[in-house]
Amino acid sequence: MATATANTITQTTYVSPTRQRVMGMVFLGFAVAIWVLFGRETEPGVITTFGMAVGAQAGSIEPLRLPSLATLNILALASAFVGAGQLARGFGRYTNWMLALVTGFFIFSFLTWAAADKSLNLVGLLNTSLSRAVPITLGAMSGILCERAGVVNIAIEGMMLFGAMSGTLVASVTDNLWLGVLAAVITGALLAVVHAVFSIKYMVDQIVSGTVINIFSVGMTSYISSKFLQHYQELNRPGTFRAFPIPVLADIPVVGPILFNNNMFVYAMFAFLILLHVALFYTRWGLRLRSVGEHPRAADTLGINVFRTRYMAVILGGMMAGFGGAFFSLGSVGRFDEVMTAGRGFIGLAAMIFGNWTPFGAFGAGLLFGFADSLQARLAILGIPIPSQFLLMVPYVATMIVLAGVVGRGEMPAADGQPYVKE
Amino acid sequence: MLLKRVNVLRTILALLGLVLAACVGATQRHAMPTAPQAPTTAAPATQPPSTGTTGIKICQVTDAGGIDDKSFNATAWAGAQRAAAELGGEAKYLESQQQTDYERNINAFLEDNCDLIITVGFLLGDATAAAARANPDQLFTIVDFAYDPPFANVEGQIFATDQAAFLAGYVAAGTTKTGIVGTFGGIQIPPVTVFMDGFALGVQYYNQQNGTNVRVLGWDPATQTGLFTGNFESTDDGRALGESLLDEGADIIMPVAGPVGLGTAAAVRERGNAWIIGVDTDWTVSAPEYSNVILTSVLKRMDNAVFEVARQVATGTFKGGVYLANLENGGVGIADFGAAASAVPDAVKNALPDLTAGIIAGDIKTAP
Repeated sequence: MATATANTITQTTYVSPTRQRVMGMVFLGFAVAIWVLFGRETEPGVITTFGMAVGAQAGSIEPLRLPSLATLNILALASAFVGAGQLARGFGRYTNWMLALVTGFFIFSFLTWAAADKSLNLVGLLNTSLSRAVPITLGAMSGILCERAGVVNIAIEGMMLFGAMSGTLVASVTDNLWLGVLAAVITGALLAVVHAVFSIKYMVDQIVSGTVINIFSVGMTSYISSKFLQHYQELNRPGTFRAFPIPVLADIPVVGPILFNNNMFVYAMFAFLILLHVALFYTRWGLRLRSVGEHPRAADTLGINVFRTRYMAVILGGMMAGFGGAFFSLGSVGRFDEVMTAGRGFIGLAAMIFGNWTPFGAFGAGLLFGFADSLQARLAILGIPIPSQFLLMVPYVATMIVLAGVVGRGEMPAADGQPYVKE
Repeated sequence: MLLKRVNVLRTILALLGLVLAACVGATQRHAMPTAPQAPTTAAPATQPPSTGTTGIKICQVTDAGGIDDKSFNATAWAGAQRAAAELGGEAKYLESQQQTDYERNINAFLEDNCDLIITVGFLLGDATAAAARANPDQLFTIVDFAYDPPFANVEGQIFATDQAAFLAGYVAAGTTKTGIVGTFGGIQIPPVTVFMDGFALGVQYYNQQNGTNVRVLGWDPATQTGLFTGNFESTDDGRALGESLLDEGADIIMPVAGPVGLGTAAAVRERGNAWIIGVDTDWTVSAPEYSNVILTSVLKRMDNAVFEVARQVATGTFKGGVYLANLENGGVGIADFGAAASAVPDAVKNALPDLTAGIIAGDIKTAP
C-alpha cells in the first residue's frame, strides 16, 4: 500500500551522484540559454513593463519597470551560481526546489525578453492561470475519489457537461445560482450511480461504461440545448457567480488580486483540495477507501464493505465532477453551449495521473497546464511571430515535458479498474 | 458462468446505448417538419398563396439551428419573406434537425415546383451540389459556399466580411479610451482571419487619418499571426482570452469564434468599461442579455443577399456561379450602435459614409 508520504520520502531523500551532476549541468544550461537566447537578442536601454494589478487596483499600483538587459544578466548569473553550487556540493534533498527556482528564472527571463519594450500584465497572467486550473483540478479530484477506491472513471467529461447544463437550466428557472450548483452536483451524482452500478454490481468494463456515459451526455445535452436552451433563451440566462474579494486580503498588492479576488469556485476548489487531502491520507475513512482500491480482498477480510465503499467513492466523485461542470456555465460564462467543456474533463484525468493520484499533485499539474495555456495566449497578444497552431500546443507539450522529465513515474492504485468479486 | 453474465450485460449496455441514441433521433424526427405532403409542416406563406402564374416560389432549407435561430437561418428567412412580399409570390421553409435531413428536405422541395431553393450554411454544401447536379433545371442559392468549378444553376453567396470588419475597426479605433483594441479567432482559417484582417486594417486606417497610435492586440495582418482559441466550442476559453486582452489594456474586443465570443462578453460585462464587437449577426438580437456591452456587430446580411438572388430569379437575370455580397450591394455591413451610440464620437459616425464610399470605389484596401 503506497501512501503519499512514502512516495515523497523516496523522491526527495535519495539523490544519486549522477542525478546531482546532471542537474548541475541542466542549471548551467539554463544560465547559458538565458544569456544566449534572450540576453544577446535584447538591446541595451530597453525597458520591460510588468503590470502588477488588474481591475480596480490598476490605477493605484504602479507597474514594475525593469531594464530588460540588466534583468536578464542578473537572472543568467543567478542560474549559473545555483548550477555551480549544485556541481560543487549539491543541494541534496532540495535539488527539486532548486530546479523549480531555476526554471522560474528561465520563465521570467523569457517573459522579460518577450515583453521587452512592451508590457505584460504579470498579475493578470497568474490570475488567469489559476482560474484555468479550477475545472481541471475539480475534474482530477473527481477522478482521485473514484480511482483511489479502485473504479476507473473516464466519464468525468460527460458528468461535467451534464452538470453544466442542468446547473444552467435550474439556475435560470429558479433564478438562484446556488440551486443551480445543487442541481449540477445531483446530476453528477446520478450519472455516477449509473457508472457505479454498471462497474461495481454488473462488472461491466469500466472504460465501456464511462464511454457510454460520455456519449450519452454529449448527445443529450446537445439535444436539450438545441431544442430548448437556444429557442427559449430565458432558460439559458442563469447569470454567474461574481468575483468575491475577501476583505483585507484582497487589498494586498500582487497576491491579493491573484488569490483573494475570485469567485466562489476558486475558493471552493482550495477548500476541497485541503479537505480531500486530509480525508484521504489522515482519516480512517481515507485509509479504508484507499485499501479498497489497493487490495479489496484484504480489506474485505478485515471487515470493510468493499461494495459500499466503492459506491460511496464513485458517487462522491460524480458530485465533484458535477460541481466542476457548474464552473463552466455558472462560474465562467453564464450560459450553456453545446460541448462547452471542450475536453477539460479528460485533461483533469491526465492531471490526476500526472499528480500521482494525490489532490495537491493534481492541482500542481492543473496549475502548470493553466499557466502554460495563459502564457501562450499572452505571447500571441504580445505579437510573437509564431503560428497559432504551434502556440496552442504549448500547454500540452509543456505539461508533458515537465511531468515526464521531472515528476517521473506515478503509481496507480493496485486494484484500479478491477471489479471485486466476493467469494 | 460469470463471464457469460458479463457478456450479456455488455450486450445490454450496448443496446441501451443504441436505444438512447435512437430516442434522441426519434424525438427530433417527430418534431421535425420534413414530410412535404403534410401541409402543416411547411411554413405558411407570408402572403396568400398566389394562384396565378405570376410570382415566384422561394423555398428555404435551414441547417440544424432552426428557422428562429436569431442567426443565419432567421436572417436568410427574412430575406426570403421580403422577396415574397415585394416581388410577389410565396416563401416556405423546411427545418433540418441534423445533417441527414439536408438531402431529404432538398428532395422534398424538388418535388414542390420551387423557383429557387435556398440552402443555408456551409454544411449544406455537399447536399446542395448533389441535388444541383441531378436537377440542372432547378435554381439554387447557398449561403456561405462557392463551388469550384461553379454550377450554372447554383449561385453561391460569399460575403466580403473584411469590408464590414474594416468599418468596425475604424469605429473601434475612434471609440477606444485606452488606445488599445483587441481581437481573437477560433481557428486560424481564412473565413475567420478575413474578419481580423479587415479589423486591423480599419484601425491602421484610422491611425493614418487621425495621426493616432491605436494598437491592435491579437492579430498582425503583416505576419498573419495572432490569438486563437483553437476551437469554436469552449466559451470558457473565450472568457480567458477576453480577460487576458482586458488585462493588457484593450477596451474593445472583437471575438471571431462563434459562441466562444459570448464568454468574452461575460468577461467584459463583469469587468465593465469595455465593449465587444459581434460578428456574423447582430448580437443585440442574438444575445440581448449583453446588449449594453455590444458596440456594434459585423454583419453578413444574408437577408439582402437572398433578396438579391430572388430578384434575379424573378427578373430572369439569374447567373449562377458566385454572388459576392459586399458593402456596395448591402450584403455586408455593421449594425446600429444601439446602447453604444453615445460612446462613439460623432466625428467617427460622420466619417463612415465617406469610408464606405471609398471602400466601394476600391480606393481603400480592406485586405492585406
